[in-house]
Amino acid sequence: MNAFSYRLTLTALLAALCVANARAEDPKSGTSMFSFSGFGTLGVVHSSEKNADFTSSVFKPDGAGYSESWSPGVDSRIGAQLTARFSRQFSALVQVVAEQRYDDTYKPSVEWANIKYQFTPDLSARIGRIVLPVYMVSDFRKVGYANPWVRPPTEVYGTNPVTNIDGTDLSYRLHLGEITTTLHGTYGRDYTSDYPHGVSSKARDVWGIVDTTEYGAASFYVSYLQSHISLRPPIALFDAFRQFGPQGIAIADNYELIDKTVRVVTLGASYDPGNWFSMAEWTHSKYHSFLGKSTGWYVSGGYRIGRFTPYITDAQVTNAITSDPGLTLSTLPPYLAVPAAALNAGLNQVLARNPVQRTISAGLRWDFTKNFDFKLQCDHTRLGPGSPGTLINVQPGFRSGGTLNLFSATVDFVF
Amino acid sequence: MGCAVALSSTAVRADVVAVVSSKSSITTLTKNQVIDIFLGRRIRFPDGNPAVPIDQAEGSATRNEFYERFANMSPALLKAFWSKIIFTGRGLPPQSVANSMEAKKFVMANLNTIGYIDRSMVDSDVKVVLAP
Repeated sequence: MNAFSYRLTLTALLAALCVANARAEDPKSGTSMFSFSGFGTLGVVHSSEKNADFTSSVFKPDGAGYSESWSPGVDSRIGAQLTARFSRQFSALVQVVAEQRYDDTYKPSVEWANIKYQFTPDLSARIGRIVLPVYMVSDFRKVGYANPWVRPPTEVYGTNPVTNIDGTDLSYRLHLGEITTTLHGTYGRDYTSDYPHGVSSKARDVWGIVDTTEYGAASFYVSYLQSHISLRPPIALFDAFRQFGPQGIAIADNYELIDKTVRVVTLGASYDPGNWFSMAEWTHSKYHSFLGKSTGWYVSGGYRIGRFTPYITDAQVTNAITSDPGLTLSTLPPYLAVPAAALNAGLNQVLARNPVQRTISAGLRWDFTKNFDFKLQCDHTRLGPGSPGTLINVQPGFRSGGTLNLFSATVDFVF
Repeated sequence: MGCAVALSSTAVRADVVAVVSSKSSITTLTKNQVIDIFLGRRIRFPDGNPAVPIDQAEGSATRNEFYERFANMSPALLKAFWSKIIFTGRGLPPQSVANSMEAKKFVMANLNTIGYIDRSMVDSDVKVVLAP
């Protein structure tokens, strides 16, 4: 978390306290203005692949496989939330989440911190740190208890790991007979240095439109988001390409992730009549950089038998850009062709890292007692040819294009 | 013997109905309309008047029966549903009272309120708008 977000949180808290003081003098308020709630997951993951780590987010430095035989860091977290309702219109919320961070600590960070104004029961605006609503379950992707799986499928939810932005959003709900549709517009920015290895990113002019439509047990989700993203530090490889004239410059400009427009479209649907559920989501991201053009989808379903919910998921991520011919070696003099070939190899190594994989999962959720569930999940992943998939910390002995199995066990709770 | 068991099990099972004040202009609602009001998806009755749902305490038999029968939701599923809403700041569950007696008092006192109570407690003060 950077200085800006500390200031933001402080401002939100101070504003909350000021209004709280003003309101505390009002003798009419009967029920408590503050409500406190929390959620958490305790889990372990085991991977059959010993030469790379499986993890749930690019913000984590290690995971299950190479670094740890049984990794608690992949899914474990705890979140606490304070909501203050100052009046029927005016409320504020702060949510703090502690989970494995880039520096391998569990230092808490501010997930949301915003002030909400409810103009009418169907129209509201928020300002502060708010959700980045890229996917169908973005709003509660960290709340294990609210999700059917151990974790949202990495093939979709891993393609854009950022969960919040600092900005503002507007939400409008429409009722058309028995159909409810909610339109959501969002604008803001996200500066984060929470990546391992000193990497940071700046996303500015993030804006998006989301529509969620509900009809009985069915719901549909459509979102479009775009942003200008820069990644730091710049990759030295691209500066080297620039030494090779117009073609080298064109390659560098094409693949460098500096002030590039990133666009994401997501479609989703779910049907949950109670006894069973099914859901599916499809997402396409264009990064205009070495991250390529990624497409992810999953289909999932489960059946509820009393306190038990067995479920299965099929998920896939592909990328349209995993290689590039690079510099044309035949037109270069021999003393330049050798370093040019090395650069081409370097570029192709970077592009080959774009995740391509397919995972079949089977799991069981057991609601063993009030406000707690226990989940077991087995994932079988086939990596794309030459791709490490979503794995990190790939070691020399790693063989790409293979398969791996994951075993996960978690306890989720809410309070 | 089997017949006697079947009879006694229906007698034990709470029979829950959704009610409004007898002075309310609402006469009947569909299952979807009632459930949408209780799940926060709908804030008005079909006639345009505001609708305020009143819940019963977590763990109470009448509450479990109400959501099981009309929404096909177990207590765990309902909790998961509200977790999605609460942890995004999109809303809070309806205000809740201890039992059907309290729910009935609430409904009688406020024309905009809709509650659910045990059918045995229905009298001229309240109007049944949805029954199984």
